[in-house]
Amino acid sequence: MLLGTLIYGFVNSCLLALLAMGFNLTFGISGVANFSYGAIYIFSGFAAWIFLNSAGLPYALCVIMAIGLSATLGVLIYHVVIKRVKGLALSEVMATFGLGLAIMELFRYFDFVGFKYTLPNLIEGSVAIGDVYIDYQRIAVILAAIALTGFIYVFTHYTRTGLAFRAIAQDERTALTFGMDSDHIAALSMGFGSALAAAAAVVVLPLGTIAVEGGYDVLLNALAVCIVGGLGSTVGILVASVLIGYAQTITANYLEPHWMMLVSLIAIAIVLCIKPSGIFGHQKELEERI
Amino acid sequence: MSKQALRVFSLLFFLTLLPGFYSVCHSADPIVLGVPTSLGFLEGKEGLACVNLAVDEINAAGGVNVGGTMRPFKVVAIDARGAEPGVPVAEVIKAHKKLILEDGAKFIVFGSFRSEAAIACMDLVSQYKIPMLLGTAMSPEMQKKVTQDYDKYKYTFRVCLNAVYLIKYLGGTMGYLNKKFGFNKVFIMDQDVAWARKTGDLMISMVFEKMGWQVVGRQTYPTGASDFSSGLMKAKAGGAQVILPIFDMPQSGILVKQWNAMKVPALVAGFISPLAGPAAWKTFDEKIEGAINAIFEIGNVPVKKVPKSVEFFEKYEKRYGKPIEAGHSPAPAYEMVYLLKDAIEKARSVDGDAVVTELEKTDRLGAMGRIKFGKDHQVIYGEDPAENAMGCMIQWRQGKRVVVYPESVAEGEIALPEGLKAVK
Amino acid sequence: MKKRKERIDRGIKVRSEDIFALTSYREMIYLLAPRALPVVGLLLFVPLFSPYWREIFISTAIYALLAISWDVLVSVGLISLGQSFFYGVGSYVAGALNHYWGLPPVLTLPVATIGGAAICTIALLPVLRLRGIYFSMVTLVLPLMILRLVEATRIFGGTEGLTGLSPFPGQLTEMYIANACLLIALFGFRRLLDSDYGLIVRGINDNDRAVMNAGLNIHWYKTQILFLGAAVGCFAGAFGTHHDMFAGMPGFALDYSIMPIAAAIVGGTGTFAGSVLGAFILVPLSEILRALGALRIVFYGLFLVIFVVGIPEGLFHYIRRKYHQFERWVDVE
Repeated sequence: MLLGTLIYGFVNSCLLALLAMGFNLTFGISGVANFSYGAIYIFSGFAAWIFLNSAGLPYALCVIMAIGLSATLGVLIYHVVIKRVKGLALSEVMATFGLGLAIMELFRYFDFVGFKYTLPNLIEGSVAIGDVYIDYQRIAVILAAIALTGFIYVFTHYTRTGLAFRAIAQDERTALTFGMDSDHIAALSMGFGSALAAAAAVVVLPLGTIAVEGGYDVLLNALAVCIVGGLGSTVGILVASVLIGYAQTITANYLEPHWMMLVSLIAIAIVLCIKPSGIFGHQKELEERI
Repeated sequence: MSKQALRVFSLLFFLTLLPGFYSVCHSADPIVLGVPTSLGFLEGKEGLACVNLAVDEINAAGGVNVGGTMRPFKVVAIDARGAEPGVPVAEVIKAHKKLILEDGAKFIVFGSFRSEAAIACMDLVSQYKIPMLLGTAMSPEMQKKVTQDYDKYKYTFRVCLNAVYLIKYLGGTMGYLNKKFGFNKVFIMDQDVAWARKTGDLMISMVFEKMGWQVVGRQTYPTGASDFSSGLMKAKAGGAQVILPIFDMPQSGILVKQWNAMKVPALVAGFISPLAGPAAWKTFDEKIEGAINAIFEIGNVPVKKVPKSVEFFEKYEKRYGKPIEAGHSPAPAYEMVYLLKDAIEKARSVDGDAVVTELEKTDRLGAMGRIKFGKDHQVIYGEDPAENAMGCMIQWRQGKRVVVYPESVAEGEIALPEGLKAVK
Repeated sequence: MKKRKERIDRGIKVRSEDIFALTSYREMIYLLAPRALPVVGLLLFVPLFSPYWREIFISTAIYALLAISWDVLVSVGLISLGQSFFYGVGSYVAGALNHYWGLPPVLTLPVATIGGAAICTIALLPVLRLRGIYFSMVTLVLPLMILRLVEATRIFGGTEGLTGLSPFPGQLTEMYIANACLLIALFGFRRLLDSDYGLIVRGINDNDRAVMNAGLNIHWYKTQILFLGAAVGCFAGAFGTHHDMFAGMPGFALDYSIMPIAAAIVGGTGTFAGSVLGAFILVPLSEILRALGALRIVFYGLFLVIFVVGIPEGLFHYIRRKYHQFERWVDVE
């Protein structure tokens, strides 16, 4: 039981980190509020499913196409919707939320409901650690989380585009004087964020079914991790994922699954009350409270 | 005020009144049946299909004889989202009000998907005196309300199985497993909705405690959950021989997939909605060999010993080109239209109170067996298709659904899947 | 030669700004018409609709009240993403009073309004010092948390909720209560924000530290406004509960958070009238779209996007501009 908790808690942590990564990149690092994140996640899942089952393409190709398609969708959303209301934070949230709603419900309208909408595991089967069985797909989740974290860290610290992302988030005007095109960078960050959502989708979705409702949960979980960890901090994301992930698994195992979601919500509330910018967020005392 | 303004105003005034006149003039023709359910869900979709099947049959035969005039049925369906997590009850209530006030529905057929919303709607239908026949909601709370305050809640009936009768079938199966294989350790996994939780509670108090089973543990999952690893881990650690799942969301099918991946040495016997239909064998990659699932009403599977159920099952397949997948709702949805027709013809009117009186006297041989209402407005379920309506338990074997319980209609005996041994 | 648009106040607007408003009927009508429109519309015109549409307008009024409550909070710089918190608290207080002690709506409505507002204010007091997005996040999370808490602890009927609450005596009574309260809230808050008190409130929104410099206790003002906003939200909740004859977890549903914000943004923030206008567009729209079946929410989402992107300032601000000003093209010099 203890070993099981440790292992599944770790899987859960990696899963949360994976879900939060893309949201963190767009919202935390480049400051674009993308509340259609959950919809894009579901969209990529269904896209992969359609390529696989209706077009009959090989799975690897489907994954790549789904990721590419989601990235395009993200850039498109930025140019068509977000750009026009940029600066009006609430309008950004409302417009992207409305769009996400439309995308998700469109899938429901076209009858994408039911058990047959599952993506295949990358590798079938399971392995025993002690007396705990864990399927290879969950191990794939762990590996993917580690790989993507590394990628994001390198990307935002050592490449020109990545540095530009952070520059825009820190001070848009100064960044502009250095010749960074904030529209271009923001569109790119939407594309990258959506691609990460798609990557998370193809790794995580085989564990369950692709369900429209899942989109809301994804958004909420991503938001929780980002707030607790501190917007914009990759290290913060990891720490928050581990904290929330283990807290959820422990409550699910020793209390009841009911309390699972409550844990992340309480974590958000406490962190917001005590240190609004998150555990690893950069403290900007006066902007937070008065 | 100028003359022109006056003219514009009176025009506007008439425009607003017009729809009202329209509905008055035309309400004399068809009898409107309102179907407010979650059309996005399998049970809701197939339920509506069955209502339409029955209505088309009746209309093709000339309609309903209301005191001498033949009137056809007309179905108005509305997607009430009642099955979604969080259950937006206000939304469901609004849908009912639209059917009653705007579309002139005289009867609510099939009703809201979830018991939570259906119970809230009982107040509404009594306010407008509209009889309501439920086809998915299962919580016995509804009967309690009917018995406690008959005059207020008499408009609500339930044709489908309820949680108490489900217990009888599940409990019977558990007794059978105990007798045959000596199993006595169970782990319960249920969904946090009224009917499922109630079923779990009653299984413990009415079945397991009385039969001396050891309940290794119980986990209640929020609607929409799709990770069951913690529960399965507990079941395995506790040495459970039987896992009793009670779920009705499409996602819950994952439970079986995880059960398979984690190699939990226990028999899955209970209800998981996606496991009920003939397509399950393929969607689960043939990994459900040996799983036992409840079919809430016969007719949803053809049972050879009840010819009418086979007839209904084939009729559906012929009309829609594919077999019934839902284990709950289609047969009652089909039958309740006929119950209404009979009641209206006997009452010689569509008046709510008169039809309720006639509905109470229902006695009909249908796809589910013999349909009679109890005093609490619940169709009585039993073990003899000539006496009562029936549900059954099936076991998946080599891609086929074999009816294994109750013994009166069984087509085979329960077999243990490979790797699981009897204790006895 | 480049051109630009020039906006100039209409003559009548300038004339009616002062005592000269009383010089002719035209000026008086110009001033009165926009104010009389909602009153006449809500009290005389809406009751003419069919019973079903009256139902829709009752729920529209509920959403409009929630939107006003949201706008009240915004006026002091508190952006709430969780109006359903107020709705849910109001609904549970009224529901519990009616269900457990059998109090009639005449009593439960005021008690739930005041008591619920007190509960909400106390609950949000610790985070009142948070600014901007941080306050929003707390409000977003709070109703979800309570939702899960009710689900996990099964208090107040758990997932089943409290049913069989007493309804209002009749549809018309119900409708007049809703519309009258909506009008009182609409005009009352507009008046309040125009007073000296409102000046301070708006000052806090514009620059809170400057107001602190003036020696005013901004936290006390914020608490008062929070109480007022919460009271409106709780009233909406209590009213909706008796309307549905049901109190339960759906009271904390996301619908009650999203819809009012959407209404306020579509209509335009900061004027209360905009929120009401937005609610009277969005709620009936969502009902009309019902005919589309499952496509309904798709179109609803798209409408939201089109409104927000097309008229970012809000419909009310747009109409008001057209009412007071005219535009013409002039050369750029």
